[in-house]
Amino acid sequence: MKSLKVSFAELNARERTKALLDEDTFRELLDPFEGFESPHLVRQGIVPQSDDGVVIAKGNINGDPAVIISIEGSFQGGGIGEVSGAKIAGALELALRDNQNGIPTRTIIVYDTGGVRLQEANYGLLAIAEIGSAISALREYTPVIGVIPGKIGCFGGMSLTAGLCSTLIMTKEGRLTLNGPEVIEQEAGIQEFDSQNRRLIWNTIGGEQRFSLGFVDYLAEDDIDSIKNIIIESTRRTEKSHSRSEQVQLYRNRLQKIDPSFPLNSLDLQRKWEEASIEEGERWIEENSDESCIESRGRTWFTALTTKTKSNLTPSVLCADEEIEDERVRYISVVPNLNSRYHRAREGEVGLEEGWTIAHYVREAIEQDDGGDRRAIVAIVDVPSQAYGYTEELLGLHQAGAAAVDAYAAARRAGHPVVTLVVGNAISGAFLTHGLQANRILALDDEKVNIHVMSKQSAARITRRTVQELEEATKKTPAMAYDVLSFSTLGALHELIGGVNASNPESEDIKLIERKIVESIDSARSGPSDLRIRLQSLQAKDNRSASIKVRERLETLW
Amino acid sequence: MESLFFQYPAKNKIERQSHVGVVGSGDLEVLVTPSEEPWVKVEVRTGMTGFEQTWEKVIERFCNYYAAQATIQVNDFGATPGVVSLRLVQALEVSGHHEIS
Repeated sequence: MKSLKVSFAELNARERTKALLDEDTFRELLDPFEGFESPHLVRQGIVPQSDDGVVIAKGNINGDPAVIISIEGSFQGGGIGEVSGAKIAGALELALRDNQNGIPTRTIIVYDTGGVRLQEANYGLLAIAEIGSAISALREYTPVIGVIPGKIGCFGGMSLTAGLCSTLIMTKEGRLTLNGPEVIEQEAGIQEFDSQNRRLIWNTIGGEQRFSLGFVDYLAEDDIDSIKNIIIESTRRTEKSHSRSEQVQLYRNRLQKIDPSFPLNSLDLQRKWEEASIEEGERWIEENSDESCIESRGRTWFTALTTKTKSNLTPSVLCADEEIEDERVRYISVVPNLNSRYHRAREGEVGLEEGWTIAHYVREAIEQDDGGDRRAIVAIVDVPSQAYGYTEELLGLHQAGAAAVDAYAAARRAGHPVVTLVVGNAISGAFLTHGLQANRILALDDEKVNIHVMSKQSAARITRRTVQELEEATKKTPAMAYDVLSFSTLGALHELIGGVNASNPESEDIKLIERKIVESIDSARSGPSDLRIRLQSLQAKDNRSASIKVRERLETLW
Repeated sequence: MESLFFQYPAKNKIERQSHVGVVGSGDLEVLVTPSEEPWVKVEVRTGMTGFEQTWEKVIERFCNYYAAQATIQVNDFGATPGVVSLRLVQALEVSGHHEIS
């Protein structure tokens, strides 16, 4: 007899972990009675949830020890705050430790998240960088399985972490995208994306569309047994396959086949996508635009710090190899290109070409230095945002971002000191993609240096508050603020450098920054290759204490 | 957000902790912890302000009827009184209250 389907998507986060684990093996870590709720929501008049919207459960899957991380989409849209983010990152870090010590622990993430929880802004941003770092490392030992069953879907910074998974399973009801439709509409206008048009949304970022272009591996029925069987099959796979985020040449070739100035037809797109090979192929030649009309600190500082010919694979991503003192350094900077084929990525935003090109330059350095001295990689950061556009999301901006995240994380693990120099804006997905995977982050202390997760207008729209109310809340939660000084209180900066002319650096300014870069490289070479140093600073002990306590308790219960 | 506290005499022991619900639209989360004291103590945190009297009636009726010796935490996100009552009873059922299970 054919049995009826039993919906997985309709279950809450905790029920989902129980449904996937073998009977009677479920054991929750940091359960609702442990008292780890968000310390930031009550102050803003928002009722917290006892597990902060994330369930960490250990148990067996088909007899194999496993950990399941499940995000509750019904609580605050599955947004990642300090506690929920630390639970996810902490569980992944412990799964990594297990697998490194020869204890195989299967890892499954059930995504139902809108991305960073805007009420905890930069806490979420830092946590997502740590989650990405852990998935990238863990994948070398065991497949990391992501499931997007739907209800909310997987949005924002968390879509970058989904793009890092070894295997992605999605249902038709799921959605996967970096920028949500409402944010695109807010930032780019209704002509770019009509956030009320449900059909358009599902045809762009829905499960079927994602599967048709290969951004997910399985399109599953919304049925517990079907999803569990796919998970078992995926975790049992022993041959190491390349994840999407490593297939940089293939995706760059795919993008080269597409002309975004014409409307994109889904079938046509699928055909071109499949035709592309991994060999270097034809490519669009873009003229360099007249750069002088648009101010870019990314370009100013790149020019100040480099002398040699710049690579121009993509005019908006500058790359050059230099030597400072005895250190070989590869500088990478994203800059405006008014001639970009992608009209939403012309003012220095990180778009499709930028993400994949960054990944290319970083991986090129890893390959070239294989077996020898590892050069330093310095990301010069002045990025106003990721590119908010329809074409970007259709063609997988989250995957382009994931590729860059993965490349930086891989470089770090391979022993390249990765240093970020924030000279201007460092905003949300763009900063996650280009900058937040560094061993050391330097930032100029300057009023035009801003670090945050979303423009005030969009953040107000998504959280249904006025801009005024938002600014009021910012005073109570420094992680919601936009200025670099507030960001520095979170302890993730290696140094906040004052007294430098950030817009028009003089030769003393440049010398000072070069000295700071060399010092950071030295410091990175002698430190760990992961991101734990960000939680060891004095400021982190004060202002990210919940991130630390969650990890400590998780380790005890593990 | 509003925090409300209630306390009533209680005489029935319950067996274990229980947790039900989520802090999602129109729903609430209930955490029940058994207590040795002859009281049932309830803390309600709710995003909707100005419904103190409604809460009092719902909680009073529940506490007097079941008289479970427990500390109860309620995190509410705009649930109706009917949903609140159902969740409270569900939580006691999971806790092993003799009258329900």
